Amino acid sequence: MTGEAPRSFMVRNLLVAFTLLGAAGAAGVYLSAGPARFWANWLVWTLFLLTLGLGNLFLVALERLVGAHWSVPMRRVPERIASLIPLAIPMLFVAFAALPVLFPWTHEEAKHNPILMAKAPWLNLPFFAIRLAVCALVWMLFYRFYVRGSLRQDESKDPGFTVRARKVAPGFMVVFFFSVTILGFDWISGLEPEWYSDMFGVYMFAGTFVSGIAAMALGVLGLIRRGRLPEVKDKHFYNLGTLGLAFTVFYSYIGFAQYMLIWYANLPEEVVWFKHRIEGAWQPVALLLTLLHFFLPFFLLIGSVGKKSPGLLRIAMLSILFGHFVDLYWLVFPVLGAQPLLGWPELAMACFFLGLGFLQIRRAMGRGADMPVGDPLLAKGLEWQL
Amino acid sequence: MASPTFAVLGLYSDAQKIVDAAKQIRPRKLGRLEAYTPYPVHGLDRAIGLPPSKLGQLVLGMGITGAALALLFEWWTSAIDYPLVVGGKPLFSWQAFVPVMFEVTVLFATFTAGLAMLFALNKLPFFGHPVLHAKAIKDITRDKLALSIERDSASFDPEAAKQALLEQGAESVEVVPVPVWDHPLSLVGLLRTIAAIAAACVVAGAGMYGAIKLVPIAPPYIHMHDQPKLNAFRASGLFPDGRGMRPAVDGTVARGHLPPAFATPEEAGTMLVNPLPLTKPVAERGRKVFNDHCAICHGQVGNGVAQLSRAYGAKPGNLLSNEMVGRPDGYIYGVIVRGKNAMPSYAPDLDEKDRWAAVHYVRVLQRSQNAKDEDLR
Repeated sequence: MTGEAPRSFMVRNLLVAFTLLGAAGAAGVYLSAGPARFWANWLVWTLFLLTLGLGNLFLVALERLVGAHWSVPMRRVPERIASLIPLAIPMLFVAFAALPVLFPWTHEEAKHNPILMAKAPWLNLPFFAIRLAVCALVWMLFYRFYVRGSLRQDESKDPGFTVRARKVAPGFMVVFFFSVTILGFDWISGLEPEWYSDMFGVYMFAGTFVSGIAAMALGVLGLIRRGRLPEVKDKHFYNLGTLGLAFTVFYSYIGFAQYMLIWYANLPEEVVWFKHRIEGAWQPVALLLTLLHFFLPFFLLIGSVGKKSPGLLRIAMLSILFGHFVDLYWLVFPVLGAQPLLGWPELAMACFFLGLGFLQIRRAMGRGADMPVGDPLLAKGLEWQL
Repeated sequence: MASPTFAVLGLYSDAQKIVDAAKQIRPRKLGRLEAYTPYPVHGLDRAIGLPPSKLGQLVLGMGITGAALALLFEWWTSAIDYPLVVGGKPLFSWQAFVPVMFEVTVLFATFTAGLAMLFALNKLPFFGHPVLHAKAIKDITRDKLALSIERDSASFDPEAAKQALLEQGAESVEVVPVPVWDHPLSLVGLLRTIAAIAAACVVAGAGMYGAIKLVPIAPPYIHMHDQPKLNAFRASGLFPDGRGMRPAVDGTVARGHLPPAFATPEEAGTMLVNPLPLTKPVAERGRKVFNDHCAICHGQVGNGVAQLSRAYGAKPGNLLSNEMVGRPDGYIYGVIVRGKNAMPSYAPDLDEKDRWAAVHYVRVLQRSQNAKDEDLR
């Protein structure tokens, strides 16, 4: 116990150094590589952190909604990862500065483009800001309700919170689906506003959910390895593998359905979006995406061995999580050009955002016990049999 | 003669006890260990030594087989056997194949899961089980759990099995004999089965027939044949004149059938020249037209002697006569279009080019039937 504190301090200092280095690099990116590349990186990483946070908040609410027992002993992990939401929301507001750089509908020419004029009632700055503000407010309200409430329950042991959390969950589901759809439409589809895809909201949700599961599973496995969740066994994280498998398939299904319909209809303004992303230099990235986001996790997780072995589960979940980053990169970066940009600017920005993300999660880990000790369902969750 | 023992059953009320007992008894190899419980007991499968089910691997294998077969089939039908371009896409469009591959994967996987579980792994069909005849079966299907040591070889010792179960805390022990079965495939049973299948077919068929034909209120679907539509030779209320088929608009001309500008063949002879060059393909076309339409009366060589003229006593013109040789091309064309004496107009049967090709062929015949020396060189 005595050796723990200095080591923990060292890790924290390393992370801070890492983040500061990244921040310096990011400033360099803005000055030397130009604002477009800076803001593209900013957008990818903000959305990455935000979707991880939202995905984990969704997992918490989903457990409440269906009254699951198996995940109660591990629930502190998604509650802590959800603390990325308050970190990412200010970043998203900062990203307003990216609007004139990356989003063509803010330009003067948009007033002469018939397609963009037809979309103007949706794509205009006041409504855009209001939407984002409402979404951010709602996310923060639910985040505070679920995470603070759960932490308070540690002390109060009040079973009433478990009942309230369940009653609120259906409302969160509705709001969550709408807000994630808006997030995808505004911040990713909006980069190429002439493109239409009704499916994109669902695609965004599927990616958010499956990467949330991946982050949660990695957190659980990490805590087990450090001996901090001694009572969580393979029977518990087996279900994370099952959910990961199911929603990997769901994500791929939605992704392919979106692609196939656009490929079939072959409408110029729709098909060009995919042409930029699956042909030429972007083709290897698209293939890497299918490998990381579908083939590797699917075949790792399809048997019961992969779901019960921490090593295989970790590989599958890392693959999904990295695949989620590749997904966002593949969605955003083609607006910068036909060549995938990957160099020191991307590395510096990654250092900055990853450092901030890890620091935020570390801070959240200091709050409350590693298991929700006040939850009346905890005993049932620990006894739970596969 | 007492029938041999099938198994010895030990009854328990507690799930944990039966799991512990199974773990203790299994290493002693008294017989095949089996358990009968009213609800699934966690860990019991491993305690009685059941190997992990092979069903998962079977399903995965068959799922992949289904995907591969669907891809192969779609590739062969759309790119090899019946190549048909649809929507300007390549013949081998994997994007369009994926939904079918997905469906066939699911089909193969679910059928494998169901059928392999029932017939391969659970060994159905299975006409009853000896344990169903045990006295304890009522308790087993209600609230008791039974651990059973079953005969697996000739050296099976029911006494030792009984002893082992009692040592491991069984509340009571029962010896289950091998029951005496009627033969499952008796003649009466087979006949009954066939009769039942026949009755089911008759009932289902009659019911479906009645639903479609006799109950007009709710037809299951509207046949395409019965949809409202225009019919060429039927009356229709859609147009004011009550006709289904539309007459052509005044002045309509079919392609290749411009109405002639001349009144008589003589007039045509002064107006028209043959627009086609005399080439081999044109002459070949002319021969086909002549043989199909003209030769029946004018004869294969055009001398006016043919089957039909002999049968009816008509006198078709001799196309090789000096008079015909002297006529201009336009005159022959005019006769084809307007007809002459008993000959009707061939304008509806022959288009512009066919007529002029036939004119060329008539010239060819005239020259070949009166060939000069220099023609032979």
